[in-house]
Amino acid sequence: MIELKSVTKRFGDETAVDAISLTVERGELCALVGTSGCGKSTTLRMINRLIEHDGGEIHIEGRPIREFDGRLLRRRIGYAIQSTGLFPHWTVARNIGLVPGLLKWPAARVAERVEELMVMLGLPVEAFADKYPAQLSGGQAQRVGVARALAADPDILLMDEPFGALDPITRQGLQAELRDLQARLQKTIVFVTHDMDEALALADRLVVMNAGRIVQQGGPLELLRAPADDFVASLLGGDDRGLKAAAITRVGERMLPLATRPVPSARVPREATLHQALAVMFREHVERLAVMDGDERPVGEISLRRIVGAGREGGGEP
Amino acid sequence: MSRREAPLNRVVLALSLAALACWLWLPLGSIAPNRIVLGTAYSLPEALGWPLTVASCLPLLGLAVMAWRPRRPAYYAALALTLLLLMALPLWLALMAQRHLDPALPQARVGIGAAGWLMLFWLSLLLVELRTRLALAGWQLGLGLVPVLGAWWLTAPGLASLALWQELAGRGEAFAEALLQHLLLVGGAVGTSLVLGAAIALAMRQNPGVERLGFALLNFLQTIPSLALFGLLLAPLAWLSARVDWLAALGVSGIGWAPAFLALLGYSLLPMVRNTFVALSEVDPGVLEAARGMGMGRGQVLRRVRLPLALPVVLEGVRITTVQAIGLTAVAALIGAGGLGTFIFQGLGQAAMDLVLLGALPILAMALVADALLGALARRLNRHTGRTTGATP
Ligand SMILES: Nc1ncnc2c1ncn2[C@@H]1O[C@H](COP(=O)(O)OP(=O)(O)O)[C@@H](O)[C@H]1O
Ligand SMILES: [Mg+2]
Repeated sequence: MIELKSVTKRFGDETAVDAISLTVERGELCALVGTSGCGKSTTLRMINRLIEHDGGEIHIEGRPIREFDGRLLRRRIGYAIQSTGLFPHWTVARNIGLVPGLLKWPAARVAERVEELMVMLGLPVEAFADKYPAQLSGGQAQRVGVARALAADPDILLMDEPFGALDPITRQGLQAELRDLQARLQKTIVFVTHDMDEALALADRLVVMNAGRIVQQGGPLELLRAPADDFVASLLGGDDRGLKAAAITRVGERMLPLATRPVPSARVPREATLHQALAVMFREHVERLAVMDGDERPVGEISLRRIVGAGREGGGEP
Repeated sequence: MSRREAPLNRVVLALSLAALACWLWLPLGSIAPNRIVLGTAYSLPEALGWPLTVASCLPLLGLAVMAWRPRRPAYYAALALTLLLLMALPLWLALMAQRHLDPALPQARVGIGAAGWLMLFWLSLLLVELRTRLALAGWQLGLGLVPVLGAWWLTAPGLASLALWQELAGRGEAFAEALLQHLLLVGGAVGTSLVLGAAIALAMRQNPGVERLGFALLNFLQTIPSLALFGLLLAPLAWLSARVDWLAALGVSGIGWAPAFLALLGYSLLPMVRNTFVALSEVDPGVLEAARGMGMGRGQVLRRVRLPLALPVVLEGVRITTVQAIGLTAVAALIGAGGLGTFIFQGLGQAAMDLVLLGALPILAMALVADALLGALARRLNRHTGRTTGATP
């Protein structure tokens, strides 16, 4: 668990982070969102003491971070950044093994862990272990960056716009993988991004920042339904907000049991989003869809009224 | 065959024709009855007669023909011809000496003429062009040059009367000593400036005040002409050695190795400090942030990240400094520092061009070798960092 209590950071006269308070629960992925220069990176870097905070307190697992030695603290916290920061003169395997090496793990254990991580991040060991960063594509380099951050199996992971420099397709692929990884590993992650769609797709909780302050925090749907002010609303895409909510809600969460009426012929998987269900309705010119499970068996149905009503808390009428 | 498939190689054509013209019309060499008298120059047909002249031109004509239809096999053939021409180069001089040297004059000597030097020059340019076309590695080219050196070595006995050779024969020990002095001065100055330069660069990075002052001073030093700098050091060093006994015992005085060494050090420091400073400053900030973010300490970041990444650029500084110092040390002979420059200035004084060459040629060779070796080393260190190898998607 990470707690920030009215944490402040000044650079000269400028206050980069202004008395922000924030709690990130164990196993939670918390996204810091906001326009460029609003203090996201500064906040992140105060947590692993790359930058020291001027005021307030930061606690990790209940202990103030000033009690820890900065270097030892950072070895216990994973860190991944947009530019990857891979050492260009080290191979992929050596880059990934950096922190275990600093922690003086025996060589055999480091090698084993590196292989495990490469497999986990979809980097075939044979093909990639001995490559140098200059030989990798942007997406591959970022996978190595994430593997390096996870190498010593830290409980906490700090990620600063890790996918910000990638093309949209690669970015979405890596976002999906991070979601799967997080479902398995349950790390405590603070994820900085200026891309609201990325934050909505990944985060359990969003923290919207503006000019060094927190403007609003809450779950993705909470924010979409009730943005605190015009700034948050515009970050969320203005009138697109409804569609964005539909894009992060699964059909399975909103479907109703199959009625006795004939099963609709148009169908949609249970894992699809309401957004995708709407697309099918448009395409098939229908207002009702059968919801299918993984084995292509109908397990429920969803109607247009139900989807539209789902925008409000409590859902709509069948 | 269409022109698009085999476009004419203008470089090879021009070089081989230029070589042909020089070879036929300029003097191949000269023969003088002794060291002082100006020799008689012989052009190729005069020296060897027409049959041999024509024979010696055939490979050049061959090269010109290859240039017309340059495909890969043709380039290999051209390379073979160029190497053949290089191998044969001293042979023609030896033949000339054999035919025209008067056995009654033991003092007589053979000078290398413009055709000989220029031929060497054109052939070197041809090698460079062919190497690029065939994408040969340095070691492959080096392998090709082995038979050339072998052939030269075999031809050497026939050239005992070569003036250059005779100048060397009379000065065997002095030459070895001058060579050693030259190497010591260069090595000492470059080595010291590397250590000192790295220390200064590190200090400059710590403190912007030191940075401004340091660069101002070094830039100023660089603008003083070398001879003037030697002169400027004369008085203070003479004063010091007159007052400090152990300095005098070390051989420090207003002239000799001490001012030469200090001047060389002064000139070497700027490129060394500049490259080291730039190398240390230009390490990708993202890499440094990641290094610290992973929990590396300051010392670890310096030793394992900053220095290894800076090393190729530092080496570039060592390369520039070394080549520069090899040349500058020649001037140091003027203040009695020794080295190969001694022969150059002696030769100039006595109007003996071959003695000048005895000093100048090894300096040229040293500079070329140092340049090639240090360049290759830097490229090798650079091979992973993406500065030479392009990123593959
Ligand atoms: N090392 C620093 N020195 C001075 N100002 C800084 C430094 N780091 C960040 N800042 C300033 O603090 C503010 C917040 O920066 P940052 O946290 O990097 O923003 P974000 O990551 O949200 O884009 C910016 O105005 C930036 O100029
Ligand atoms: Mg940032």
